[in-house]
Parts: sequence; C-alpha cells; structure tokens
Amino acid sequence: MITVEGLTKVYGSRTALDHVSFEVPKGEIFGFVGPNGAGKTTTLRILAALLEPTSGRALVDGADVIEHPDLIHDRLGYMPDFFGVYDQLTAGEYLDFYAACYRQPRARRKKVADDLLELVGLSDRRDQAVDTLSRGLKQRLCLARALVHDPTVLLLDEPASGLDPRARVEMREILKELQTMGKTIVISSHILPELTELCSMIGIIDQGRMRATGPVQDVIRQLTAGRRLRITVLGQKEEAVAVLKPLAAIHDVTMVNGAIEAQYDGDDAAAAAILQSLTAAGIKVSGFSQLEGGLEDAFMKATSEDI
Amino acid sequence: MNRIAVALWNPIVAKEYRSRMRTWRSPLAMTVYILLLGGVGWAIFSSTAATARNSFNGAQAANYGQVLFLWLILFQMVLLAFITPALTAGAVSSERERQTIDLLFVTKLPAFSILWGKLLASMSFVILLLLLSVPIFSLVFLFGGIELDQVLIAFLVTSVAALTLGIIGLACSTAFKRTLPATVSAYGAAFILLAGSLLFGLLFPTDINPNATKAPAPPAVTYLSPILPLLVVGTNGPVNGYGIRNSGIFLTQGGGMACSSGPNGVQSCYSTTVPYGKGFVGQPPQPSGTTIPSGLFSGWQYWQATITMQLAISLVALILSAILLPPIRHLPWRRRPRVMA
Repeated sequence: MITVEGLTKVYGSRTALDHVSFEVPKGEIFGFVGPNGAGKTTTLRILAALLEPTSGRALVDGADVIEHPDLIHDRLGYMPDFFGVYDQLTAGEYLDFYAACYRQPRARRKKVADDLLELVGLSDRRDQAVDTLSRGLKQRLCLARALVHDPTVLLLDEPASGLDPRARVEMREILKELQTMGKTIVISSHILPELTELCSMIGIIDQGRMRATGPVQDVIRQLTAGRRLRITVLGQKEEAVAVLKPLAAIHDVTMVNGAIEAQYDGDDAAAAAILQSLTAAGIKVSGFSQLEGGLEDAFMKATSEDI
Repeated sequence: MNRIAVALWNPIVAKEYRSRMRTWRSPLAMTVYILLLGGVGWAIFSSTAATARNSFNGAQAANYGQVLFLWLILFQMVLLAFITPALTAGAVSSERERQTIDLLFVTKLPAFSILWGKLLASMSFVILLLLLSVPIFSLVFLFGGIELDQVLIAFLVTSVAALTLGIIGLACSTAFKRTLPATVSAYGAAFILLAGSLLFGLLFPTDINPNATKAPAPPAVTYLSPILPLLVVGTNGPVNGYGIRNSGIFLTQGGGMACSSGPNGVQSCYSTTVPYGKGFVGQPPQPSGTTIPSGLFSGWQYWQATITMQLAISLVALILSAILLPPIRHLPWRRRPRVMA
C-alpha cells in the first residue's frame, strides 16, 4: 500500500532523510518511531505530497506522491503534529467545510459530518466553536477531518501528543476501530508502549536513517539480540552463577535486585535445558521467568548505536 | 454545477464569508467607512453651502457638484487603498501562521482555487463597501454637473484599482511567510501604485518634443495611478501642467489650433505652431479633452489606460501567486520521470 524507496531530503548542508526505505502492506498499522528531529515528520510530509524529496520516491497505492498529488490527496488522510483551527466555525461546520474541499456532494456532507463526529465521540459538540475545544477534542476533530473523504491510508503525526492518559486510550480505541474498517495507518509517536500494543509493524528512524523496520516482534528480537531469564534461588547465588556461566547458551549473567538475570540464545527448549542444569546441580530454584525485550529496549539500542 | 461554477465558487468563499461576518470587525469597518465618507461629504457640502450663501448662481451649482464628487471619489480611493491590502495581505500568510494551510493543501482544492476563494471573499467585502457608498454619492446629483456615466466610470476605476491592490496584497501574502512583512509590502505596493506613479510623473516628466504635432502627455507609468483618471473623469477636462517639462525656450511663430475626434468621440485639440529657428518652436500643443493626446496610449481615455495597465499587473501577480503557493511546484522545466498510478 505504501512504498518508500531511498527517500532523501537535504536542507542546505543538513540531511534530514538519508535513503529511507520501508513498506507498509494494506490494512497494517505502522508505527514510526524516532527521537525529535529524526525525520519522522519530514517523511510523513513527503508522503502527504506536501514536501518534495531531494531524491528517492514514495508511492501510495502505486501512485507517486510527486507525480500524482491529486490521486494521493484522494487516497490519503493526513493529520499533522501541529495544526490550527478556524475561528467562528462550529465543529459541524468545520467538517462540512473540509468535506466540501474534498468535493463531497452537499447532500452527503451532513451525514458524513454526523458519522465522523460520532466516531470520534464529539456528537454532543457539533455546535460548539472549534476554537473553544480542548486540545484533546481538537485532536479528535482533526482525526475526523482527515477521514471526511473516506481515505484508504491515514498518516497521523504524533496524534496522541499533549493528550492526557484517558484521551490517549480513547484515541487508541478509535485507531483500532479504523483498522477494523480496513484503513492502512502510519502513526508517528513517542509513546512506545502504546505503539507496541497498537502497531503490527514498526520503523525506527534516527538522524534521518531508518535503523530497523518490519513486524514489531521481529524488530524487537532483532535489536535486543537474545532473550533474558530472571532466576531467583534460595541462597546458593554464587553456586547458581557458577553453574550458569559455563553453559554454551548463556551470554551474560548479572545480579539485579537480588535476582540473577541471564541473557541467552535459543528458544524455549534452551531455557528448559538451563533450568535442568541448575536443578541437576542441586540449586533450589524458586523463580524462573523469561523477560521480554520491549520496544523501549529496541528503540534505545537502535538510536544509541551507529548501525 | 459546471466546471466554471465549481472553479469560481469554492468552499473557501463560503467559509470566509461566514468567518468574516460573524465578528464585530466587519460591521465596525462598514460603519467607520460610511462615517468617514459621509463626514467628508458633509464637510464639502457645508463648505460649498456656505460659499453659495454669499454668492450663488446656477452655473456655480454644477461646479459644487463636481467638487463634491471629486473629493468623495478621491477620498473613497484613499480609504480603499488602506482597507484592501489589509483584507488580502494576511489571506495566505495567516493560514500559514495558524498552521491550517497544510490542511488545505491536502484537500482536492487546487492552489488557484484557494487563491481565488480568498480573493473573491475579500473583494466581495470591497464591493459591499462600494455599494454602501452609493447613497452618499447620490448627493452629487442634487447639484448636477456630474453625469451618470462619470459616476459609473469613476466606480469602475475605483473597483479595478481595489482589485489590483487586493491581488497585489494576495501575492505579497503568498510570497511572505509572515503576515507582518506581507502587510508592509502590500501597503508599500499600494503607495507605489497610487502615489509613487504620480511622483514619477513629477520627477521624470515627458520632455516636450519641439517637432511634435500632438500635445504631450505624462509618462505612461503615471497611468498606473487611479488618481489621474479619477481627476480627469471628475473634472471632465484634460490633464494640464502635470507630467510635462518645457526643456527649451519657446517662441511663437504663428499657427493655430487643430482638433480631431478620438475613438470615444471626445475631441482632442492641439496647437499647429511650426518650428522656428534651431530647435526652437513656438507655443507647444496644449492638451484638451479627456483622451491621452500622445504616447503609448495615444487616443485612449485615461481611465481605459489605467484599467488596462492595472489588469495586466493583476494578471501577472495572480499567476505569480498561483506558482508560488503550492508546496510542491510542478514547473515545466523540472519534470521528473513519470511513474504510473
């Protein structure tokens, strides 16, 4: 659905994007992660046909964003990270205005506005002036605005920034609902735990370069290199460490808050073999669990190294 | 709606009308406009009435009407020169400052439609102000001395000048990212158009050609200003003593006056004195009538030349704006390899 190939954007002497490539299949939610200034917004603006790349190309449903901006705008809904609203317009009029800008027939516009206000939970704010809405409500309204022409692709630049926890949860629920409606969503965010839960695919970008991209768990696995075990024993900690260290599967053994953390290579069978080695050596194991490498670990690793 | 109607009438117009008319600023602007114009009309009316009390005859009444009309139409032009740039200079730049411009760019509205919508909404307000001034101008007919066609032409000149100022303001708003420099440059352009072009006529007047058979005319640049045609239309007389320089010593060697009919049926008269001695001529031909006696626009009415030049400037400014506005400019000399959709 979205293909980005060797996208490069240079501003004077600064390279904002350096040969960024990734793909997002239809119906996926793609999380775009990176520190401030990494190039997320630049990439999304190029995808929205708002910025011309220095080189490379971006395609949305086969259409080049530079060659066919009209097709792109038809297929794509865009929500920028910072946006303003017009004074003197109600929420209903605001959506009606954008629906008209997307050449929606007058007869359909009211229904579209009503449906979208209901989707984002703003039905009761239909007649409220948009400039008097709170930030969270404006974010929701802007999401509704991005949907007035029923696009197949949504580009959301930091849609949850500045929202309180409750508003974030509500925004996440709306996005899940949109996914069930078959929309392909690209979402840039700093809130990593939410992305892990929400996104099926992820791309980590830093200093204009794509550090990793693919299904979320694959990226996490790829970047966190191995799995970790948390082992608690009844006394005999030194003995347990002495048993673990010589094992071929074990990379690293550390003591964390009175427990042993061991990094190892292999699958669940390898973990079972490690447990068996400990019990065979007479170590009384009271706790044995796998620590999942999270997106935060992957993100920190990807953005702290020059891969 | 057909394609032309869709292109001309777009959602921006409706949205701008709605936003503009829901604030207190629009009624206030209209009230202040009418009060100022009415105030000037009343002041001129009072002044002429006081003069008439002392010495009045029928012929003077027509003159009073002409003076009142001239003051009103010139004052209206100056008022619009202050109002119009303010209406359009922030049209695009304020969208940028408010961070709403990207939301318009990602819709199906082409850049020209955005500009057109902004322009139409602003100029409708100017037209509204012009319509509001009609009752004040109707006072002129109490005195006489002004024909309906003079009023219509003066309103046409004023409207086109306001349109030109509006489009220049829009171009400034497109070219500058911030509203402040856009507004300053729009007012600068308005000053150049109204006063600068007239100043040009004073600083660089036309030298009288000793061998010319036609009366000299001010430089063509001066026709950019709507003031000149408004003066000509208001007084219904020729431009005398402006934009022309006597660079030699003139000696009269007989001759007389010759008159010819212009394309609009207005007679233009000039002197037929002949050259005398080395480079010296007699009395230079004197302009008469309301046509331009010589030069690039020879035989045209002043208002025709002004409108033509201003519309040309407007067209260039509008095209420039349409090129500058889109976030990605598809210029013919910057073609990229095509990718099939």
